[in-house]
Amino acid sequence: MNEEWRKDQLSAEAVAAWAIAKKDITIYYLKPNIIVAGLLFPLFMFLAFAAGKNVALGILIPGLISVTILFSSSTIEPVSIPIERRTKTFERLLSAPVSLHAIVIGESLSGFMYSIGIALFPIILGLIVFNTAIPSPLQLIAGILLTALCFSTMGTLFAAYPTESPGDIMSMLNLVRLPLIFVSGTFIPLNVMPPIGKVISLLSPLTYGNDLIQGAYGQPSFFHPFLDVSMLVLFFIIFQFIAHWLYKRFND
Amino acid sequence: MHAIEVKNLTKRFGDILALDKVSFTVEVGEVFGYLGPNGAGKTTTIRILTGITTPTEGSATVFGSDIVRETIKARRQMGIVYETSNVYDDLSAWQNIMFAGELYNVGKRDREIRGKELLELFGLWERRATRVHGFSKGMKRRLTLAMGLINNPQLLFLDEPTSGLDVQSNLIIRDVLHDLTDRKVTVFLTTHNIEEANITCDRVAIINRGRIAAIDSPERLKKTIQSVQSVEVAFENGSTEALADLERLPMVSEAKKEGDKVRLYTEDPGSLLKEIMAYADTHHNRLVSATTLGPTLEDVFIRLTGLERRMKGGGRSE
Repeated sequence: MNEEWRKDQLSAEAVAAWAIAKKDITIYYLKPNIIVAGLLFPLFMFLAFAAGKNVALGILIPGLISVTILFSSSTIEPVSIPIERRTKTFERLLSAPVSLHAIVIGESLSGFMYSIGIALFPIILGLIVFNTAIPSPLQLIAGILLTALCFSTMGTLFAAYPTESPGDIMSMLNLVRLPLIFVSGTFIPLNVMPPIGKVISLLSPLTYGNDLIQGAYGQPSFFHPFLDVSMLVLFFIIFQFIAHWLYKRFND
Repeated sequence: MHAIEVKNLTKRFGDILALDKVSFTVEVGEVFGYLGPNGAGKTTTIRILTGITTPTEGSATVFGSDIVRETIKARRQMGIVYETSNVYDDLSAWQNIMFAGELYNVGKRDREIRGKELLELFGLWERRATRVHGFSKGMKRRLTLAMGLINNPQLLFLDEPTSGLDVQSNLIIRDVLHDLTDRKVTVFLTTHNIEEANITCDRVAIINRGRIAAIDSPERLKKTIQSVQSVEVAFENGSTEALADLERLPMVSEAKKEGDKVRLYTEDPGSLLKEIMAYADTHHNRLVSATTLGPTLEDVFIRLTGLERRMKGGGRSE
C-alpha cells in the first residue's frame, strides 16, 4: 500500500472516530441512566464520604473530581454498545472501512468528552462554594484529560463483552470501579493505607489520576507528576489494545 | 478480475462446521443470489466476505483485495444492507445517512449531494428531519438501503432486502435494484423469497449445511429437475374432495391445495391430465382450469436442500 493510501486511510479513521463520537453524544448524553450513573452516583458518593469526615469539604474536591471522571467517562459505552448490539447498529460500525482501533477510539471519545464536561461541576463547586485554589491549573487539565482518556477506554473495553444488556456490563464494571475508589487515594489518603493497600493502589490507574489532580490543588502528591502522566498513558495504551483484542475475539 | 472470488472457505465454531470448503465466484455487474435454509451458512459467508469474521481456512477476495489481509481496502468498495434495518432510531433520516457517509469517508459536499439524491430516490426526502423512531418498517428498510449506497459501492451485499415489506417499499427497492444492475453494480443477494431470486438474479448458489449444493442460472437449475412437473387444476365444486381422491393416483408423487386450486406433482403430466378429466366426469365436478407447470426455483431449492414440503393432503414428501 502506498503512502498516499495510508494518509487517506488515516484521515478516514479520524473522520469515522469523530462521527461515532458525535453519534453517541447526540443519542446518549441525555439518557436518564447515563445521567444517574455518570453524574448523580459520584455526587451521592461524595456526600456519603463528606458526611462522615471532620475535615473542610474543599479538601475533598480533588477526590470528587477523580471519582466523577471515573464514573462519567466509563458509563456511556457500557450503555450504548449493548443497546447497539441489540438494534444491530453496532454491526454497521464493525463492517465499516475503518480499523477496530478507530471504532474503539470513537466510542471512547464520547465518554471522554462527557466526563470532561461533568468534571466542571466539582471544579466550579470548589471554586465558588469552598473557595478552593488551584495552584497548578495545567497539571489539573493534564490530570483530567488523561484520567478521562484512561477510563473512557476502560468503559469501551468492558463493553466488548458480547451481551445485549447494559446491566450485565454495568455489574461487571462496578465490581472494578467501586473497589478502585477505596484503593486509589481519592477519599482515603494513600499514606494512611495499610502496606497491602498501598501495593494494590499501584495497580489502579485512578491512583495516578487522583495523585495528579491532588497535586494540582496543592495537596501532597505521592508520586512525581511525570510518573503519574506516564502511568496513565501506559494504562490507556494497555486498555486500548486489550479492547481491540476483545472486540476482534468476540466478533469473530 | 472477479467481483468476489471464494476458494475453499471453511469456518468452524468449536465443533460446529458452519462452512465446509465453499468455493464460488461472482462476476462484475452480476446479481448473485445466495439461497439456503436457516442455519445453512449464509450469514457466516456474508460476515466473512465483509471482513467481520475470519475464515478458519480458505480465502476470499473482493475486487482482488484479500478480505483478511486487505479488509479495509475491500470494504471501501462495498455497501452492506443487513437483514435487520439497523438505523439509529434516535437520529433523523438525514443524520443517519450523513453518519453512514462519514463512516465510509465520503467528503462533506459529496455526502450531502448523494444523501439528498438517495433520500429523494427512496421517497424519504420530505421526512429527512424526522426522527427515525416514528418510521414504518418499509421506511426504515428504504433508509437502510439508502445508507448502504451512500459510498457509491461497486458491490452491494443485500440481506433479505424486501422481507415483509409493504407494496410501495417493495416496488421502490426493486426499481433501485434494476437501476443498480443497469449501472453494472455487483449485487450479492441473500433471500428467502425464492421467486425474488428467480426474477432478479443472473445466477444463484444454493447452500445447505455449509456446502454449496448447486450454482447456476435459475433457468438452468430448473432444467436439472425436469422430472418435477405439475398440473394445477381448479374444479367448479371446490377442490378439497378432489385433492383427497387425486393424490391417490399412482402417477402423482405429491399433492397440495393452493387457494381454490389443487397442484399435483408428476413425471407424466399427459396421463395425469386424462385421469383428471375422467375424475371430473365421474364426479360431476366440472373442470374450471387445468395448467401444466414446469419446476420452479423453489422446487429446485427443496430438492437440493432436502427440505420437506408439507402437503395439504396430510402427508409429506421430500
